Amino acid sequence: MECFSLLRSDVPALIDHVGAYGEVVAPHGKGDVSYSFEVVRDSNDVVLDYNRTLLPLKKLFLPPVEKLMDFSLKNKSFDPVEVAIKPKVYFGVHSYEMQSILRLDHSMLSGSAESNYFKRRQESRFIGISFTPDEFHFSESVGILIEEMEGFDLFLNEVDGDFQVYVLTDHGQELLQGFTKMKATQPEIVEERKFKKKIRYHYNRLPRVFQYAYHSDVWADVAERCVGCGACTLTCPTCFCFDVQDEVTVAAEDGMRQRSWDSCMLTTFAEVAGGENFREKAINRTRHRLYRKFKYITDEEGLPWCVGCGRCTAFCPAGISLPDIVNDLIQEDEKAQYHRSVRV
Amino acid sequence: MKPQVAFFDFTSCEGCQLNKLNFENDLLDILKHVDLVEFREAMDDKADHYDIAFIEGSISSPSCVERIHDIRRRSTTLVALGACAVNGGVNAMKNLHPIDEVRETVYGDDKYLFATLPAMAVSSVVKVDYEVRGCPMTQQDFLRLLIALVLGKQPPKYGSPVCVECKLNENECLYNRGMVCLGPITRGGCEAACPSVGQFCTGCRGLLDNPNLDGMLEVMTSHGISLDEAKKRMLLYNSNEVQL
Repeated sequence: MECFSLLRSDVPALIDHVGAYGEVVAPHGKGDVSYSFEVVRDSNDVVLDYNRTLLPLKKLFLPPVEKLMDFSLKNKSFDPVEVAIKPKVYFGVHSYEMQSILRLDHSMLSGSAESNYFKRRQESRFIGISFTPDEFHFSESVGILIEEMEGFDLFLNEVDGDFQVYVLTDHGQELLQGFTKMKATQPEIVEERKFKKKIRYHYNRLPRVFQYAYHSDVWADVAERCVGCGACTLTCPTCFCFDVQDEVTVAAEDGMRQRSWDSCMLTTFAEVAGGENFREKAINRTRHRLYRKFKYITDEEGLPWCVGCGRCTAFCPAGISLPDIVNDLIQEDEKAQYHRSVRV
Repeated sequence: MKPQVAFFDFTSCEGCQLNKLNFENDLLDILKHVDLVEFREAMDDKADHYDIAFIEGSISSPSCVERIHDIRRRSTTLVALGACAVNGGVNAMKNLHPIDEVRETVYGDDKYLFATLPAMAVSSVVKVDYEVRGCPMTQQDFLRLLIALVLGKQPPKYGSPVCVECKLNENECLYNRGMVCLGPITRGGCEAACPSVGQFCTGCRGLLDNPNLDGMLEVMTSHGISLDEAKKRMLLYNSNEVQL
């Protein structure tokens, strides 16, 4: 693995250089205090130090609202939308975000692969960047370090304000072809970046905690505070549930079918014809959300389906914290174990 | 034969029906599907029977009650149009005060000349088949319902909060900008029109089914407004639905 040093002031030049491969998407400032992934128009606008974007990178592979097909009621015909394969560079991506794309690949491509997702993933290149954890990041607790480089073609590790660029794949090598502003260097390990938020157990132990947490009192406590806005799941990088709706034009001759992100935290999510609702109470929905992250898929794949980005916590208007819920479950589990052992 | 459509107004600003006359580009397409048979703001004709009657406004006097019963008897489908008709809207704020006090404030010494009732949703008096929410309802929302009825389909129902559409637009949460917003408990379908331009949600589309009101008051007060102010904001469009 090659490693080069790059001055912070030369990063815009690097962005312009990789732009020769294809459209570059990178984090930009949004609103008063937020960030979002946008197409780069001016490489000087790209933000290198950001905590997290409002929506995850997922939005570019599985758009929030997406037209699936046009149809004609008059001719009784339909025309599915097929996206074109376009080379793109995703720049300034954090390690947990990349891990979420790899998990999303599993969800969207195993079994019957989703063709438009697959086409958007083709020819995509990822350039990672290190970050300084804030009070919400907890990805270390789910096994993802700041410098986790799986999935990236290049990775920029911040060292003393400047960067060390790791070349990880042949694709990364090609992106750098002809770029002269870097010097070969020895990789350094950065010690001082520490996670402030942690789950108390190693993630390997969580499935066992969840095995016994189904009837825990913790769910009711959370449900009491939850206002059911769905922000946690709608900003989650590994959630992929959607709703499909048809819309007909005013002339009532043709229309389109579109898909939009849905959320299991919404009352209507598990409602079916006839008015039955499988998860009518907030307590059922909160529990389901956590089980989707730490039990159901984890049992099959051996990995937590949470990447520790902290979005669900940072964007919750009620201040409900996912790692705090898990820590509460752990504490309850320890108490229950103690009581079981005392009884014996 | 095309469905015979009529519009009626009760206690309201009449804005929801007035914006039907602003369809402009779509008006001719709409009239391909329906016959307009009664609409006080647009024409003089009257009719005996209506396939679809659109009702704007809340029911707030004995004469309103009589008239809405008459319209219901002569209608096949009845649709409540806008916040006032759906749940009483802002009119229902008067229900929070003793009715005599309200009459005196509005009519002074002549209060005995004007019979009044608490402002009620249309559905409190007669059967309502469908509703279009909002203050005012959006034209798009109205068109979706009309087209669905013309095609004989179920109109779309909105059961998700405003936050959903706000998140799909990737808006910065107004709570992060120091505002207090009713988005989490307010029924969506408006494409988060207000939060998308930086105005907090005032709840004009009414409450979700089973909203967590205590949790919401906690959220609002923890973002810097008093409990009294939080309750007032919640009541603005929901006086008939919220018991605080």
